[in-house]
Amino acid sequence: MSAVEAPFALSAPADRQGRDRWVLTGLLAGPALYIALMAVVPAFLMVQISLAHRDVGGLWSPGFELTQYRQLATPLFARVMGFSLLLAACGAAICVALAFPAAYFITRMRRRAQVAWLVFLLGSLSLSEVLIVFAFQVLLSTSGSLAGALTAVGLLAPGQSLYPNFPAVLTCLVYLLLPYVILFFYPALSQLDPEVEQAAATMGASRLTTFATVIAPMMRGQILTGVLLVVIFTFGAYLTPLVLGRPPQWTIAIHINNAAMAAGNVPLAAAYAVAVVAFMVALLALTRILSRRPEAAA
Amino acid sequence: MRIDFGTLARRGFLGLIALFLAAPLIVVVSVSFNDTRRMSFPPTAFSLRWYEAFFGDHGWMSSLERSLTIAALAAAVAVLVALPITYAIWRYQARVARALAGVGAALFLIPGVVAALMLSAFWGVTGHVGRLENVVLSHAIVLLGIPLSLLSVGFSAIDKAQVEAAHTMGARDSDAFRMVVRPAMTPYILCAFVFVFVLSINEYLIAYMVAGFTVQTLPIRIFANMRQGYEPTMCVAAVIFMTLGFAAFILMSKLADLPRLMGRTRPLEA
Repeated sequence: MSAVEAPFALSAPADRQGRDRWVLTGLLAGPALYIALMAVVPAFLMVQISLAHRDVGGLWSPGFELTQYRQLATPLFARVMGFSLLLAACGAAICVALAFPAAYFITRMRRRAQVAWLVFLLGSLSLSEVLIVFAFQVLLSTSGSLAGALTAVGLLAPGQSLYPNFPAVLTCLVYLLLPYVILFFYPALSQLDPEVEQAAATMGASRLTTFATVIAPMMRGQILTGVLLVVIFTFGAYLTPLVLGRPPQWTIAIHINNAAMAAGNVPLAAAYAVAVVAFMVALLALTRILSRRPEAAA
Repeated sequence: MRIDFGTLARRGFLGLIALFLAAPLIVVVSVSFNDTRRMSFPPTAFSLRWYEAFFGDHGWMSSLERSLTIAALAAAVAVLVALPITYAIWRYQARVARALAGVGAALFLIPGVVAALMLSAFWGVTGHVGRLENVVLSHAIVLLGIPLSLLSVGFSAIDKAQVEAAHTMGARDSDAFRMVVRPAMTPYILCAFVFVFVLSINEYLIAYMVAGFTVQTLPIRIFANMRQGYEPTMCVAAVIFMTLGFAAFILMSKLADLPRLMGRTRPLEA
């Protein structure tokens, strides 16, 4: 019955469709214009700039050259992308390992506790990267209590700071991403039928076994998309590696920003950006392929 | 009573996660009440002097005001753009509307720095540089996915039978809208507004790249101060962010069914 799908089909006079079209045009003209102008045009513009000719003083003139794309073949770009990917992979492993069970536990709580957790997660997720980076700076600084405690037990030389270094960047990224990833897993895990677990329990599986062998494989697609989320965010993060890392820990975001703002080479920044987006699209395609469940294996 | 190891482990694990997420916030809040100018944690003596300094400083206050204005306008734009799209999908299953929502979702695939570069290039080409409305329109487009998804959750929660009944009883579209759709959607619209507002007020990179030199938002000012060295008034700004954020989400949890808004469709009893 199509009436279930389209509840408004009950009364459908002949002139209805024509009028609907006018209503729709009125509704969507504004949003379509806005999205075209602010999303589609800038995207094309970025591709165009990446092919443009670089002029002095941060300017560019329209053209069609691959000068900037040749920069992508340099060891610098390969090293920066490789490092960004390494950072993202570490971040994704930690985030998923923590967020998946955390989200699972939260979905099993009573309503009040769940709402409290959601408010807490949303609140910490929305905090500015500026603020978090700053807080980590205070926390990890020489005068901070953490450094003091570590010095006291002899794990840290006196006067040494806990940043800038790779662990500091990674910890801060995990901090920024953890609420996102937990909230990302929340809908799928809350939809999970409790009967699945009960069935597994009846068959003698422990809760841990059920979690690892039944629930986690069911959520393979979700987990892969969660990993993708971490990768996208890590590649886009600018302040965290800048403040808590040293130049070897600078991700592609810093190089894009430096090319655009400091070096005044907008075409190079655009070429980097196009390469990053292409990489994300490829990763998305990969996660889609990997999360496709082979029919026979079920 | 039997000690359940599983429960203990679960509570311990969640407790550690909560502690990890709360730690930087505790640091910032306590440092903001510290008496000394030195950046030190744990704080030595309680004082409100940095709060006085913050609220007495013209620069900080104007940044705060600017950030609040941008966030309110960006949230309004994002909701006003998302509302007709989600309505058209729900009411007409319009393909154009689906395509527009698809563009909004695709923006999530774009890393923050790339979005910032795209938009700064766009404003550069239009020659309309360093203006407040640049930040407003840029934030609204980047955050558009949020009202799109929250409002579509809202529309899907409307009982279509009720709308149908209104139609059978001779109600026109506008009547059905007023009687059923608008009251059902109001909490979702408010939630979408609040969510975009909070994210916009905290955003740094896009604001900096589209108008950073002339429109100093609160995050931009905090970061500029960070580069120049530590100053405790920064912590006060940070505390304001936190208070605003948590207040906004508590408000959201009062306005609407938060678990449902976050994607839970399986019923959850109290």
